[in-house]
Amino acid sequence: MKRYLSHPFWQGAIVVVASYVAFEYVIGYALPVIGVASAPVPSSVILEYMLIVLVGILLYMSADEERWQRFREPIRATMVRRDRRTLRGILMVAIPVVIGWLAYERVKPSYAAPATLRAVHPAPPNQLTFRGETIELTGLENPLHEEGSMAEHLAAGKRIYVRNCVPCHGDLLDGQGHYAPAFNPVPADFTSSGNLPQLTESYVFWRIVKGGPGLPREGTPWDSAMPAWEQVLEQNDIWAVILYLYDQTGFTPRTWEEEGEGGHE
Amino acid sequence: MRALRRMAVAVPALVAAVVPAVAGQEDAAAAGRVVYDRWCAECHGETGQGDGSAAASMLPRPRDFTQALYQIRTTGSGQLPTDADIRFAIENGLPGTTMPGWPNLTDREIDDVIVYLKSFSRFFGQGPAPEPLDFGSDPGGGPAAIEAGAAAYLTMLCEECHGLSGRGDGTSAPTLEDWRGLPIRAADLTEAWVLNGGSSVEDMHTRMLTGLDGTPMPSAIDAMNSGVVSPDEVWQLSHYLASMGPREMPPLREVIRVGRAEDGLPADGAEEAWAGVEAFYFPMSGQVVQVPRNFAPTVDGLWVQGLHDGSDIALRVQWNDPSNSPDPNWDEWQGKITAALDLDGAAPIALDSAGAPAARPPDAVLLQFPFELPEGTDRPYFLMGDTREPVYLWTWDSESGVGAGRGRGLGSVEPLEDPVTGAATWEEGRWTLYVRRPIEVEGDGLDFAEGTPAPIAFQAWDGSSAEAGTRSSVSTWYYILLEPPASSTVVVTPLLAMLLTGAFGLVLVRRAQDRRRD
Repeated sequence: MKRYLSHPFWQGAIVVVASYVAFEYVIGYALPVIGVASAPVPSSVILEYMLIVLVGILLYMSADEERWQRFREPIRATMVRRDRRTLRGILMVAIPVVIGWLAYERVKPSYAAPATLRAVHPAPPNQLTFRGETIELTGLENPLHEEGSMAEHLAAGKRIYVRNCVPCHGDLLDGQGHYAPAFNPVPADFTSSGNLPQLTESYVFWRIVKGGPGLPREGTPWDSAMPAWEQVLEQNDIWAVILYLYDQTGFTPRTWEEEGEGGHE
Repeated sequence: MRALRRMAVAVPALVAAVVPAVAGQEDAAAAGRVVYDRWCAECHGETGQGDGSAAASMLPRPRDFTQALYQIRTTGSGQLPTDADIRFAIENGLPGTTMPGWPNLTDREIDDVIVYLKSFSRFFGQGPAPEPLDFGSDPGGGPAAIEAGAAAYLTMLCEECHGLSGRGDGTSAPTLEDWRGLPIRAADLTEAWVLNGGSSVEDMHTRMLTGLDGTPMPSAIDAMNSGVVSPDEVWQLSHYLASMGPREMPPLREVIRVGRAEDGLPADGAEEAWAGVEAFYFPMSGQVVQVPRNFAPTVDGLWVQGLHDGSDIALRVQWNDPSNSPDPNWDEWQGKITAALDLDGAAPIALDSAGAPAARPPDAVLLQFPFELPEGTDRPYFLMGDTREPVYLWTWDSESGVGAGRGRGLGSVEPLEDPVTGAATWEEGRWTLYVRRPIEVEGDGLDFAEGTPAPIAFQAWDGSSAEAGTRSSVSTWYYILLEPPASSTVVVTPLLAMLLTGAFGLVLVRRAQDRRRD
């Protein structure tokens, strides 16, 4: 075992395999398990990464003459030694077959939908217009924290949520309302740690006021079924719904102080 | 005397046993109230009358707990449910309604909320606890059982409401009302995933024996007792019902594959020609983006099939709609729907003194595309585009047939000169629409390209349920792809790659060996 670990050829092989596992499985599937938002890496990108890894390994190996000789040794031996005839034969067939299969994967007809790279939380504008009235978003706080009774705001927020938002975002606020299956992309899941706790109340306000049509291009505004709620709700209705969302899910919004340090994703 | 003495011992013991139980019930009801107020009250109302603030936009309405009328039970018709029955509804929800399952609640919270729900009605706690019926045992399914079940379906007059094919289009369907007098649909038995009480053979059998209290669905027990059907026949009927359509909502596939028709395109939407063609299902939701909204749509999904022959493309679109609108038999239904639903303050279609609607809207469907194949992923807005970026529409309605149009936002269709043709037929609660057009056209319409996915979206209206204008069913964008002709590159390229790699390997090995010999 140790003999293999200290041999440059096998070190290179281990790095190749480990990189592939990391790109293919860790980024796409393991990270979400531990709660980090992520998505599978497209195969064309993996191919690119793997080529970079290979070039890196070759550069490293050839930087030192002795290491280079040791690295080449097993390859050379397999190519020339009589006692490795069988292995040589197997590789001479297997490698072309793998290459042929890779080529087939690339040219075979595809019936997959074109990949959409959609920013889930695109950068917000600095200001918005609410039915013609200009509102500065930067530094904007939820005015209901300072006025009236919180219990009443929460009751109002719940009433507005159940009447208007439940069909898509669901009674459980998990984005699985009874209409959710008809929408692509699916409605936002407010119980996910990737949504409400990452956002300021002013950000949520913008997304509710302007909805899908108000998204920038990277948010694929043509796909989103989120209505622009300024046509139905008053500003304080929206602020009340925001209070309800955070209260019912138990999350706390980002504040402008944190915002200054981190900025939006 | 001895009896008296025995009582003197027994009564305090009884009191000692009952008092903590009652106190426990009170604690549970108080805990249940907290859960209820947090999660249930907005629909079912603070006093349990099913009159919460959102109730008016829901059809069927939320349950009124003061009536103690429960659809989903294991007890006889007209009986109270068991606690397990109420738990079943809370855990699984009522598919096809706005009631979801509640996996967020703990067992304890559900127990508590059941105690609280029951406290809304004085019927609970009187008399003995409700007992489940004896459902007997399933004699087994299979083709013979299903055939016998199909006969029982007619014997028991199921088709009067549910229709011959089970799509909820029976002759009585337009007259059905729930206990409140609100319109209620006969279940579409071909869409098992929206059946209120579950869709397994056992679920079907249970619902038939218990009936759905508060709805027109009766219990089969009278028919069994009077010898109209045997217990085994009711089981066979359950197997038949479970065979009427797919068990689960078909998985969503984003790309409609339009294969090449080697023997020419079908000339219409008739069954045989399309039998072997892959069908794609797209769920649809009420249009709830722009007011007036549609919170209780009729069309909840459609099936799409496509074929092309290199010069023309033909699509078959099918969807279930129990009414062939406009149909005067559904006037009363349309009036009741209009009166029952909160239409966002929109003027409902006026009703005359007899309750008949002043207008009978047609059934309609839109197939929506962009005008150009998109570069990148940019597309027009999914709700019929906007003034900046219009959409290209294939339109159909039951009065004016197939046409084409330009959409500049929800509800705006400007007719377009276009060679799209087709027709639709309605049979037993299902529309079948056939549309055909050259793949490339002279005018403004979208030119499809083989092998390049084109965006497509759908919209549908049921006129008899007062659906018109913005009150429709909608989908977001999907894709449609015309299969390119079989290409030699699929075979040649991999072969070439293999040959080259093999030859390269041979050369490398030969050179290495030569050098060694030198």
